[in-house]
Amino acid sequence: MKNTTVDNNKDNRFELLRELLLAEDREKFNSLSQEIILREKLAKRVSPLVDEKIEDLRENFPVYFGDTITETIKVQIRDSQDEVVEALYPIMGKLVKKAIVSEITKLSDSINKTIKEKFSVQEIIKRFFKGKKNDADVVLQEVFEPIIEEVFIIEKDSGLLSGSYSRGNIADKDMVSGMLTAIKSFAEDAFSKEGQDLEDIKFETFQISLKNFKTIYIAIATSGVLNSGFKDELSDHINNIAEIILRDRSYLAEEEKLNDLIKRHLIQEKSR
Amino acid sequence: MIAKKVLLVGNFGVGKTSLIRRFVTNEFSEDYISTIGVRISKKEVQYNEQIVKLLIWDVAGTSGNEKIPKAYFLGANAAMYVFDLSREETYIALEENLKMVKELSGLQNITLIGNKKDLLTSEELIAVKNKITVPIDLITSAKDDENVEDAFTLLTAESLK
Ligand SMILES: Nc1nc2c(ncn2[C@@H]2O[C@H](COP(=O)(O)OP(=O)(O)OP(=O)(O)O)[C@@H](O)[C@H]2O)c(=O)[nH]1
Ligand SMILES: [Mg+2]
Repeated sequence: MKNTTVDNNKDNRFELLRELLLAEDREKFNSLSQEIILREKLAKRVSPLVDEKIEDLRENFPVYFGDTITETIKVQIRDSQDEVVEALYPIMGKLVKKAIVSEITKLSDSINKTIKEKFSVQEIIKRFFKGKKNDADVVLQEVFEPIIEEVFIIEKDSGLLSGSYSRGNIADKDMVSGMLTAIKSFAEDAFSKEGQDLEDIKFETFQISLKNFKTIYIAIATSGVLNSGFKDELSDHINNIAEIILRDRSYLAEEEKLNDLIKRHLIQEKSR
Repeated sequence: MIAKKVLLVGNFGVGKTSLIRRFVTNEFSEDYISTIGVRISKKEVQYNEQIVKLLIWDVAGTSGNEKIPKAYFLGANAAMYVFDLSREETYIALEENLKMVKELSGLQNITLIGNKKDLLTSEELIAVKNKITVPIDLITSAKDDENVEDAFTLLTAESLK
């Protein structure tokens, strides 16, 4: 009992001391919290208004500013017609070309699919007479024939060129192989999850596929419409070549021999 | 013909691109166009009766102890570390930076080059040399075409080891 009294007294004294010491701080705290409460109230009242205004602006932007903007653009176009035409012309050309190629690729694939589904007998016949192409392909390939433009066989780590094929004349092949490897390293370093490889680089009507093997990778640049048939066949040929090279590594040291191999397996096979 | 991949690294603005330009096309420009990513040049050189095709990777300069992507070092046969004799910050942490390049590349030896000799008097050059504790392979000037060829010969020799 005695103890409790003492403790009570102590508690009271502490209480008193705390009051004395903290009185000023508490005042500050109170006024601060008042202020916050006030601000919250204000915000609650104001923010719906602001939201409403933004929404209104979003919906009626053309009404409020449309005329002014149209007028500004009109004036600019009128005053600099040549520049506008010059700026738009190449872009439109490219866009149209790109759109056509992409549409035709889709069309070709979908026609092929339909034909495959509807005439599965044809599929069987096709397997017998391997190499015979279907109707959609025949028509389309005459127009947008897929062509192998370049082939590079490149040492994976160093980016040194082991062998190549080129339809036209391109810039320095050694340097292209190096840059391609640098881009590949950069992209894989920066964007890929562990152990993933860059597989395709696309331009408007031109693309580079990269096929990775253990110590080499093969880059094939193609143009035209690549239907799935062409891709499958190409992929088969590439695997064949890789197998030959990886079994007999002397190909990697002798550029001429490797160039020959590429020609025989990728280029001549294809044009047959 | 054998081909070798060699790399130039170092702080930005020390003259890596200028050294390569001087070596490959014998040109020099005062303009500074900072390299973005990597640029690759090629030159065939003769070394001890054999012709070597050098593919020179000019890697964008770093600042401080910023890391160079490891992938650029893959398969490199030799590397040159360039610093600027006229800028202390490019050689202040040489030891540490050389160690980092060795670790990234797996190469035993890195050719160490101090460039822009033309900007220093001979007294200043001595003072700079005294501050540097690691052995410098060559002092060059891309501007005055001094020791540039020799620097790349050293690099070629290293790549053939
Ligand atoms: N005086 C003098 N200036 C040089 C020399 N070498 C390069 N420079 C100048 O230094 C500046 C930078 O040269 P770069 O060769 O672009 O340097 P870099 O190391 O390739 O730079 P980053 O690509 O940014 O890493 C340029 O203005 C060059 O003209 C030299 O030997 N002497
Ligand atoms: Mg540079």
